[in-house]
Amino acid sequence: MASLPKRIIKETERLISDPVPGITAEPHDDNLRYFNVTVEGPTQSPYENGIFKLELYLPDDYPMEAPKVRFLTKIYHPNIDRLGRICLDVLKTNWSPALQIRTVLLSIQALLASPNPNDPLANDVAEDWIKNEEAAKAKAREWTQLYAKKVDDN
Amino acid sequence: MSKEITDTTDFANTKLPDFAQLDFLLRCHICKDFLKTPVLTPCGHTFCSVCIREYLQSNSKCPLCLLELRESMLRSEFLVNGIVQTYQSLRPSLIDILDSTRSSNDTSIIELGSDSEGDSYVKEPIDITGEYDDDLQIVGASNKRTSLRSKSAIYPSSTPKTMNRIGKSSSSIQSMFKPTTKNKNLKEKQAQCPVCEGFFPIQVLERVHLDECLTLQSLGKKRKGTTSSLNDQTVSNSLRTSRMNANTSKRSQERRLVTPTPPPPLPPAISYAEQYLNSGRGTDSEQRLPKLDFSNMTTTKIKQKLSSLGLSTTGTKQNMIARYNHYEILWNSNFCDSLNPVDESELRRQLISWDAAHNVPASSSNGNNGGGIISKMMVNRNGNSKENHYKKLLADFKNDKFERKTWIRLYKQEFKLLIKEAKEKMIKKDAKKMTAEKEAALTTDLSVVNDLGDNLSDPDLSKELNVQHTPVQESTTEENG
Repeated sequence: MASLPKRIIKETERLISDPVPGITAEPHDDNLRYFNVTVEGPTQSPYENGIFKLELYLPDDYPMEAPKVRFLTKIYHPNIDRLGRICLDVLKTNWSPALQIRTVLLSIQALLASPNPNDPLANDVAEDWIKNEEAAKAKAREWTQLYAKKVDDN
Repeated sequence: MSKEITDTTDFANTKLPDFAQLDFLLRCHICKDFLKTPVLTPCGHTFCSVCIREYLQSNSKCPLCLLELRESMLRSEFLVNGIVQTYQSLRPSLIDILDSTRSSNDTSIIELGSDSEGDSYVKEPIDITGEYDDDLQIVGASNKRTSLRSKSAIYPSSTPKTMNRIGKSSSSIQSMFKPTTKNKNLKEKQAQCPVCEGFFPIQVLERVHLDECLTLQSLGKKRKGTTSSLNDQTVSNSLRTSRMNANTSKRSQERRLVTPTPPPPLPPAISYAEQYLNSGRGTDSEQRLPKLDFSNMTTTKIKQKLSSLGLSTTGTKQNMIARYNHYEILWNSNFCDSLNPVDESELRRQLISWDAAHNVPASSSNGNNGGGIISKMMVNRNGNSKENHYKKLLADFKNDKFERKTWIRLYKQEFKLLIKEAKEKMIKKDAKKMTAEKEAALTTDLSVVNDLGDNLSDPDLSKELNVQHTPVQESTTEENG
């Protein structure tokens, strides 16, 4: 019942009425600051045809503080670690209250399209990526098949 | 509550979907709402004063371009302020006019008038009786439409001079209703309005006109108080929007019938143009509140600081620091940026609201600030409808839209009881005091008595001594004898 800022209500309404293609975000019934998110793997990336589940939480200080986002689906990516934590500038130092849930999720989708092994979070994956990009991509594709199939399980 | 939330997508289904861009540009990028007391950054971006100040407490860069930014660099933008306020007040009518589902025969100017009328005045009577509709139609129809149009066409040109509005609009109301007085076909009894002294059919007078006249009058009175009129205006605007949203479908049907009605345009309570022209940093009577370095302050020092500002000192040190910081934002935004600064007590009220929303656990454990009162009220409450009402009020309180009057009405009984209790206690206290005084008096009496006794005992002793003395003497005399 704690008061929900107008901005969050507005963003939520917009996410539902005018969703970003390839991305869904639905608030929990009992906690409107907690969202269930799915992101489709971008085409022509190793994550194509995969549907990745994420959780997104808007902290009390949002929008002064960045939303907390985490992958729930296992993913092979140099900037996403085993716990699903994401290394993305807009979620950390480059967060700005002018950004919103929508833009953050788009950034995450873009991160899937262009992994950045030079600023890694999962060191082993990043090493693989630098050493043999093709093999790493193949593994990422394999993981996508294994864990992020369209018929969602996990 | 969601009805009050406006969004750029409101223009998506109108004749001018690109209007959404203007709607977007007039919003703050932090709260996504319309700019409130906008301030300009050196990098050329505009935000609400409170929003950007809050953000700059933890960061020192512009949210949009990430360039370095500090609070001292912010400058207020009176022009943008005026633009936003004007736009906000016109927005509901604008959306209504641009509503693409409506027929395009009517000139938008007439509709503008009929909208504001439909919202605030005529709408409710229409719902009550269908008959009244006809009256209105006759009024409008009997009046030549061309003259009506020319009259309403004057209206937009006079918009900037809204300060003189009252006289104008009330006279326009009169002139619009006057044709009915001349119209003999109606054969209605006429009566004089006690407020504006015009003649109207009794029905019109009773159902609509009196209310209108009185509203206009009260608006006129409030207009002299500067800050309160602004608040009233925004409240009435939001009320209008919400009512409008609720009734749009109904109204669009009705409007076809009612459109010819002469539109008495609702006068804005203040002219934003006027306000802008008169804006300026007058006397800098109020100083900005400084940032405090809490790291070398003791809790008692912080408490002193807070109470010197008249703020609550409940909660933990963290709570108090957060409270001061937010108060500093409110204060500086109000006294450094705002065109219509409110006074300190209003700021404190806003802070309590904010506290209730942010420091909930602290305030409920400490029973003597807003939260404590609220939780007490919650225990006291009874009845389901009251509970709902209470919840709504509480939510409003946290959102800083608290309606004091409703609250007072809701808890009239409880307040009465509390006052009664307090009075009884005072009487009891008085009584106690009295008895205490009496007792004190009694004890002093007793002590006096004792003292007296002491004094008395001395001669007794001396007597005894004398007595003792005398036998000896006697014995000696006996011995002697």
